[in-house]
Amino acid sequence: MLTSITVITLDFRDQGGGALEAVRDGARDALAPLQSFASNVFSPVGDFFGGLTRYGSLKDENAKLRAELEQARGDSLSSQGAERERQALLELMRLDFASTIPAVAARVVSISPSNFQNTVVVDRGSDQRLAVGMPVVTGAGLVGRVQQVSRTRATIQLLTDRGSSVGVRLTGSNQIGVASGAGNKEPLQVDFVATDTEVKAGEVAVTSGLQGSPFPPEIPVGTVKELSKPPGAIQQEISVDPSVDLTRLEFVKVLLWTG
Amino acid sequence: MLSDARFRLPLVLVLALLVHTTVLPSFRIAGVMPDVMLLLAVAAGLEGGPMHGAVMGFAAGMLADLLLSTPLGLSALVFTVVGYAVGVTKGGLLRDTPWFSVLVAFGASSAGMGLFAVAASLLGDTHVLSGHLTTVMVVVGVTNGLLAPLMVRLVRWSLAGSTPSRAFVE
Repeated sequence: MLTSITVITLDFRDQGGGALEAVRDGARDALAPLQSFASNVFSPVGDFFGGLTRYGSLKDENAKLRAELEQARGDSLSSQGAERERQALLELMRLDFASTIPAVAARVVSISPSNFQNTVVVDRGSDQRLAVGMPVVTGAGLVGRVQQVSRTRATIQLLTDRGSSVGVRLTGSNQIGVASGAGNKEPLQVDFVATDTEVKAGEVAVTSGLQGSPFPPEIPVGTVKELSKPPGAIQQEISVDPSVDLTRLEFVKVLLWTG
Repeated sequence: MLSDARFRLPLVLVLALLVHTTVLPSFRIAGVMPDVMLLLAVAAGLEGGPMHGAVMGFAAGMLADLLLSTPLGLSALVFTVVGYAVGVTKGGLLRDTPWFSVLVAFGASSAGMGLFAVAASLLGDTHVLSGHLTTVMVVVGVTNGLLAPLMVRLVRWSLAGSTPSRAFVE
């Protein structure tokens, strides 16, 4: 117990730096190949159990995908063939925002083994110039930011993490607020939008990029899903659906931007 | 080599860590996954008593901490306390029952998650103490309880013929 308390004290005092963090980074790098191997071996097992626990949603998704497939079959008759599809995929990968900021593409290798944090680990680290605080995006919008970096791995704090918050601007009403994470699969909660302002469902929220913000401006964050004005409240209750499906990340781009 | 507890114990620890980090994150109920690292401490307390529970709890917790971004040593502290407490509880029991390990794993895992949240909030992670905590305590308690008989057998095999000092200090 004394050892644990001593380690906690030292880690807390160093605030994420120092010798203990070096030990942690070293351990992460050392375990990374073993984890990758185990991940490849165990992924069918994980997928099986994951499928069991998501049976209901998978059934719904299956029905939805079947409907989309029918639609796609119809659409494909009028398409220009494979080249056009390829161009569409390339278009999807192109970033329409933050295009002037250099970025590093990374593959998501694992989900955080935690019940209190909502993070993922990617296969790029400080060797590829990644640093703590850098924004992470996909073609659809903001994913989160780099929380920890070792030489070959980086931990990304997702927008839905309960400790995450990002300054946003609602593009329809031009209101500024702060979107905070509320947990896995939960919409973001936007605070500090006054009740006397007109906000509509469907408005797109983008990063505000105000001075001192850890994110560049105009990166899509999500779409206003629901809003209410409780009697007597000084701010609206606004929930925003993230524009990126954070439960199925495969590839992301880390913007080499530190404010 | 596997006849020596000095090899079996680290093997079980690393295997549990790999399962914890690669398989179980996909196995979530209401967004919550089982915590086999905490279950290791509980199983060691049940099988080997307070000292084994504490030592296994410290080792499992420290390994888990290395892969999280919570303060280093936090899981180690909580798991040490839980492993020790389970060992003391088991020692004070006059008669064992087949359901005992399941019930203890349920209670100890739930309490462990609660203790972790309180300790994390004391260190500044106040968002951990939310309504989500109740779900975490229930789901981790139930899933760890169901996995307990398997983990107890594994830990029994790994601890056979060992003392904490032989296994970890030598």
